Amino acid sequence: MAKKLSKVLLYLIVILGAITMLIPFLWMISTSLKTAPETIAVPPIWIPKSLQWGNYIKAWNEAPFGQYFINSIIVTVVTTVGQLFTSILAAFAFARLKFYGKNILFVIFLGTMMIPGEMLIIPNFVTLSHLGLIDHYGALILPWLASFFTVFTLRQTFQSTPDQIYYAAKIDGASDWKYLWQVLVPMSKSTITAVTVLQVIGSWNAFMWPLIVTNSDKMRTLPVGLQAFTTDAGTQYQLLMAASTFVIIPMVILYIFLQKYIIAGISKAGLKG
Amino acid sequence: MKVTFKDVTMSYDGKTDTLKDLNFTIPDGTLVSLLGPSGGGKTTTLNLISGLLAPTAGQIFFGDTDMTKKDALARKVGMVFQNYSLYPHLSVLDNIAFPLKMAKVSKAERHAKAKDLAKLVHVEDQLDKKPGALSGGQQQRVAIARALAKSPSLLLLDEPLSNLDARLRIEMREEIRRIQRETGVTTIFVTHDQDEALHISDNIMVLANGSIQQFSSPQTLYDQPNNLFVAKFIGEPVINTIPAQALAADLAGIVPEDILKQAETAGIRSEALIPYDAGENVLAKLHGKITQSSKYGREATANITYNGEHLLSTEMAGVSGSQPELDFYLTKSGFFLFDQSGALIFGGESHAE
Repeated sequence: MAKKLSKVLLYLIVILGAITMLIPFLWMISTSLKTAPETIAVPPIWIPKSLQWGNYIKAWNEAPFGQYFINSIIVTVVTTVGQLFTSILAAFAFARLKFYGKNILFVIFLGTMMIPGEMLIIPNFVTLSHLGLIDHYGALILPWLASFFTVFTLRQTFQSTPDQIYYAAKIDGASDWKYLWQVLVPMSKSTITAVTVLQVIGSWNAFMWPLIVTNSDKMRTLPVGLQAFTTDAGTQYQLLMAASTFVIIPMVILYIFLQKYIIAGISKAGLKG
Repeated sequence: MKVTFKDVTMSYDGKTDTLKDLNFTIPDGTLVSLLGPSGGGKTTTLNLISGLLAPTAGQIFFGDTDMTKKDALARKVGMVFQNYSLYPHLSVLDNIAFPLKMAKVSKAERHAKAKDLAKLVHVEDQLDKKPGALSGGQQQRVAIARALAKSPSLLLLDEPLSNLDARLRIEMREEIRRIQRETGVTTIFVTHDQDEALHISDNIMVLANGSIQQFSSPQTLYDQPNNLFVAKFIGEPVINTIPAQALAADLAGIVPEDILKQAETAGIRSEALIPYDAGENVLAKLHGKITQSSKYGREATANITYNGEHLLSTEMAGVSGSQPELDFYLTKSGFFLFDQSGALIFGGESHAE
């Protein structure tokens, strides 16, 4: 009986948590289908009288969202792939290779994780403007091609791979390079998937940096583009929410797809004892 | 491929030598076991052969070629690790084919070869599974197939059976023997289990304290141990060891006097103590008292007190109960005398007439 009760309680807490997480999403969708007066009505209206699907078309036409989408996709894909590539190499070096000053270098890199990102905005901006990359893809991509957080996470995973697998690969004729890409990386699929998801979401949602380094519509990304609905005259919430909805849809799809991957990707075995 | 070690010394920290001046030759096509207690240098020796370790001094030859400076990649040996170390993300087929893939063999060719090997080790019905879905014995077989994939000059096995249960261990050691005979590959097998080594090997190298105690056939190892360490290490139950002094009176006139004087320890195998006069093979008649006897399955053991020393015999089954005090006989085979340094000075077939 007590067991059943605790189970009910557990479910209640979980359901409550789920609702808390979902309300902003539901509010966003609900608002995106309202008329302008309905968005600021008190008490709040959850289900609009008539669904304003036209808001989506209006929002799409308000700003060059097609261009924003392309920019966001380019920036997200290039930074994610690039960052993964550099991080995997660096993580392998820290985890497996022997070289002079390895530990000191690692501690220094670790130290960079303690610096708040906001502090880096100005030096990064100055550097990139000297390079003539402001309002250019370079500015959106270059600073994010290395991430010590990703290096650190991957290094932990690489280090936990048994030495014997490495020796087996050596005996089987694999060089370090082949061992890394054909054995270690596939074996670390779950961690790599996790850091990829984090990076894609971070990159897709990035606001501050793209806002600072882009001036023209041609270079803007989606989160920056959402500002189009905030004008001096106030915010058009129903259009902002409609745009927000189509901005997050790719992330939702990606998450649903990769969530399955994360669970399936957990690969242990091959070792007994 | 013949393997030769010439004055090989290995030290991990530069202070203590894990291996000291090792010299040996493993003949082509044989199965050799490296046997010894933990920390004796077995795995170190194996890793020196594989090229995963480089010796501190000395030379290693494969055939007549000096391989000392070559790394694991260049030596082209196959190796089975204690934990099998299969690649968890690859199917059985791809695991076996992996060394061929590294050698840039075409896909069709390497899959054909992998399938042949899978047949050899009897895992041909598991090809699409991942290692995690296999039993220990099957993983073992896959690991052997992978080690054989690139037709290695040498097959190295590092305690490959230690993670299997007792019954499977016996089955797998027969399998390894069969596969070795079928392929004819020179095989070096590391184990700390003497039973395994005795059953599987053409020759056994007993390694302890970083040096070779004896390198000979299993039977010679048992019948003619070089020293006290080997005598004690090989054989189940463990050989009886008593001070040679205790036997001095009974052996006077049988064993030459100068040898008896040098002798420090006597080693007596439990089957060398028998209750009847076997004629030719008997060395001496002894007198003692049975303190306890027990029977396990087909084995019967008796504890005998002789001159204040305890001896174990496995041949006293018939006499134990009724005759606590008795005469018994010591046979020539299975009796050894060792001097102060532990070296054999009497016993073994070459010494007994």
